[in-house]
Amino acid sequence: MPKSKNEISKVLKTLSRRKNIYVEYEGEEVITWCHGCGNYNIQNALKRALTLEGFKYRDVLHAYDIGCNGNGSDKIGGYTVHGLHGRSISLGAGAALGNSGLKIIASGGDGGTMSEGINHLVHAVRSDYPMLFILHNNHNYGLTTGQASATTPKGFAMNGSPDGVVVKPMNPSEFVLGLNPTFVARSFSGDIKHMTKILRAALKHKGFAFVEMLQVCPTYNKATPQEWYRDRIKYIENLKKYDPVDPDAAKKIVQDFEKEIYLGIFYQKKNQAPFQKRLPNREGIKTSPHEEVKNFNISKFLKAFE
Amino acid sequence: MERTVIRIAGESGMGLLSSGHIISRALKDLGFYIASEREFPSLIKGGSSNVQIDFSTKDIRSRSNKIDIVVALDRAGLLYHIDMIKRGGILIHGYERHHLIPALKEKAKKKGIKVLYLPARQIARSLGGSSVMVNMVLLGLLWRVLGFDINNLKKEVKHQFASKPKLLKIDLKCVDAGYKGKDIKKIPQLEIKRNKKAPKKILIDGTTSIALGAIQAGMRAYYAYPMSPSSGILTYIAATSHETGVLVKQAEDEITAAQMMIGSMLVGCRAMIATSGGGYDLMTESVSLCGMNETPAVFIIGQRPGPATGLPTWTSQGDYNLAIHSAHGEFPRAVIGCSDPHSSYELIQHAFNIAEEYQIPVIVLSEKTVYDTHLTVDHFKHKKIPIKRGLVTGPKELEKLQSSDRYKITPSGISKRWLPGSSPAYYYANGDEHWESGELNEEANEAKIMIEKRMRKEKTLLKNLPAPKIYGTKKGAKISFIGWGSSKNTMLDVIRAYKTKGVEVNYLHFDYLWPLKADAAKRFFENNKNVHLIEGNYQGQFGQQIEVKTKKEFKGKLLKYDGRPFFFDEVMSYALKH
Repeated sequence: MPKSKNEISKVLKTLSRRKNIYVEYEGEEVITWCHGCGNYNIQNALKRALTLEGFKYRDVLHAYDIGCNGNGSDKIGGYTVHGLHGRSISLGAGAALGNSGLKIIASGGDGGTMSEGINHLVHAVRSDYPMLFILHNNHNYGLTTGQASATTPKGFAMNGSPDGVVVKPMNPSEFVLGLNPTFVARSFSGDIKHMTKILRAALKHKGFAFVEMLQVCPTYNKATPQEWYRDRIKYIENLKKYDPVDPDAAKKIVQDFEKEIYLGIFYQKKNQAPFQKRLPNREGIKTSPHEEVKNFNISKFLKAFE
Repeated sequence: MERTVIRIAGESGMGLLSSGHIISRALKDLGFYIASEREFPSLIKGGSSNVQIDFSTKDIRSRSNKIDIVVALDRAGLLYHIDMIKRGGILIHGYERHHLIPALKEKAKKKGIKVLYLPARQIARSLGGSSVMVNMVLLGLLWRVLGFDINNLKKEVKHQFASKPKLLKIDLKCVDAGYKGKDIKKIPQLEIKRNKKAPKKILIDGTTSIALGAIQAGMRAYYAYPMSPSSGILTYIAATSHETGVLVKQAEDEITAAQMMIGSMLVGCRAMIATSGGGYDLMTESVSLCGMNETPAVFIIGQRPGPATGLPTWTSQGDYNLAIHSAHGEFPRAVIGCSDPHSSYELIQHAFNIAEEYQIPVIVLSEKTVYDTHLTVDHFKHKKIPIKRGLVTGPKELEKLQSSDRYKITPSGISKRWLPGSSPAYYYANGDEHWESGELNEEANEAKIMIEKRMRKEKTLLKNLPAPKIYGTKKGAKISFIGWGSSKNTMLDVIRAYKTKGVEVNYLHFDYLWPLKADAAKRFFENNKNVHLIEGNYQGQFGQQIEVKTKKEFKGKLLKYDGRPFFFDEVMSYALKH
């Protein structure tokens, strides 16, 4: 991605100035990802983006799915919850509604997101919960040793599909764009600067921010390695006329996953009222629900039963 | 015991519910105690439904299946319910073509049933009403038969339809016309004893009570996916949400509702879900997650007969085994059974306290009959049960916490809990096996120690749970019962009824169903020679646990699994036989 030296040095300077915030995100556990796994870079980009956007580790709750990325739930400094397969979006949404002061970052793989928990994705987009969701799309089930997922390209032989996958793959960002979302972006685990930029924008988004990370899996996904992406990746930012407010344009550009794979913010709808603000019964309430837990006097309701 | 039993029968959609409310409230105004419940099939319009109202000058808790007066709003109600009327009872109806049903006359004659017919449809129409107002005409006649002042009834009709002033006028005319009972040769009039003063009570059902208990306990988010018989909780919490500010979200499925509840509980917002057995099946992996990462959670199962869709609108105690065994792996849990409005209101508050203090999933069992039965009970008290959260909240203490305090190995099994973000010491709420900060750990020794730590919480809880309560004499009863849930209501009526006959019956009731205070049951067996089980399922699931844990055997088991609650009369005759 083209970027002026000025911009990069500005980012690095800010990071350097906020190194105290940054280092808190450093976990103490030994990392168990494979050499060359895309998770390293995604996690680093996330730490950078959080630091640059001024989120301290205590401001954030990370909700993890099951899988290789989920195994990173104790590899980052901060409060995390490592939930169930396919359910990190719902778990995160409940946390986001329960404590509106916490930044909720949920993540999941292509298995959990596009198969096991795809209903949760659909309705989280529809509900526009205030949270960031990162899809780790490495086109296979890594932790169960390389089975095909809903995003594995057709024809590729995988563990359990030795003759090659016979059904066509899903394109997650294209799928989400069909759901009337408020934020859809795509980035690539091989480009830490781009991921940082996308995640910063996603962290600023007030509603449900969907970020698809195309992720290499050097151990089980031989079909789409780093080089495969390098040959195909294009940046939306380089398109002079692209404006991410047009859903039709977004749906068009997101489609191609064979020749030109575009990265960037496909679509964003700003100034949407966040979910909580759309609840008429909570209008004017300034507190977060988790601060309201105390005995509520129900005597007035009993009058109807006297 | 003196009780009068009225049943209003008709199709769903004929104003049965409002009729039931009107009659119940009017009877309550007159100082009666009430136990009323509706029976209905799983459909919106049509089918044969009924509302039954048992009332007495003394506290009553259960229904009888011997009916004094049936008010039939339609033909189906007429045919089906005549068989349930007591010898010498009364049948009130408005079906014009009743003379075309010879069986009706025969049956009435055989059982000495007095049949009162009013052309209610014509009357309602002639007064400018619709055929739905048949119910108002017949309620008027019913009130005449009961021998009460028409103004008591009209007051409650006004209360019920206050929001529809135009129709109310016609409703009142219909009630009057029914009361007059023009052209009926002789209107029988019952002589019903009344209390001098109306007791200061509320008339409320279990659904509203459990919702109010949760609201009282500081529940600030309610997540739901509709399922009978628990949908009423969603309705009530949503209907009151402008006054309470409770965040209500209907989710896309039960799994989501459970996950959102757990997410909210994790960050310190009291939240709950309510479903039925089938919906809970889908939630069980979430229950297991709470078992592992020690997140508090409250699940309500409103029981109805299964398997599968089963009998969606009928009652059951069939999910005891589901509640105590559900979800994979071994972990501590609490299972609580509600039996009436008061226990629903209070036990849900304890459920939140236990969930948070012990950091475990709590499963609260209710039943269709507990949800739907309106009982005359004392006012609910505010702040009777203090909120206990088991949270570290002091700023100084929060500063001093170590990450490893979160899942620290302790003798009680309970470790410190604090909310995400509240302390510099962060933790990992890990669904994988972990060590004290929540960091992943698969070592044999650590895994064993951590599982034992979690399971110790169940022992600690068992020690701290209140003992089950004995109703009736403590020892030496002629016949004794052990049970849980709605059985308590019937047992209370039976104990009182036998007491007036000079026969001692007693009943050991369990609110807390897991972990099980088996010692109390053992003592009960030792102090009483003739102990029976009363339980609303086929296998006697709770009874099996009692027998295993006490090494005692029931003398007999009164089991019911036909979708109906235990009726007063059937327990009376079981006790007589045994």
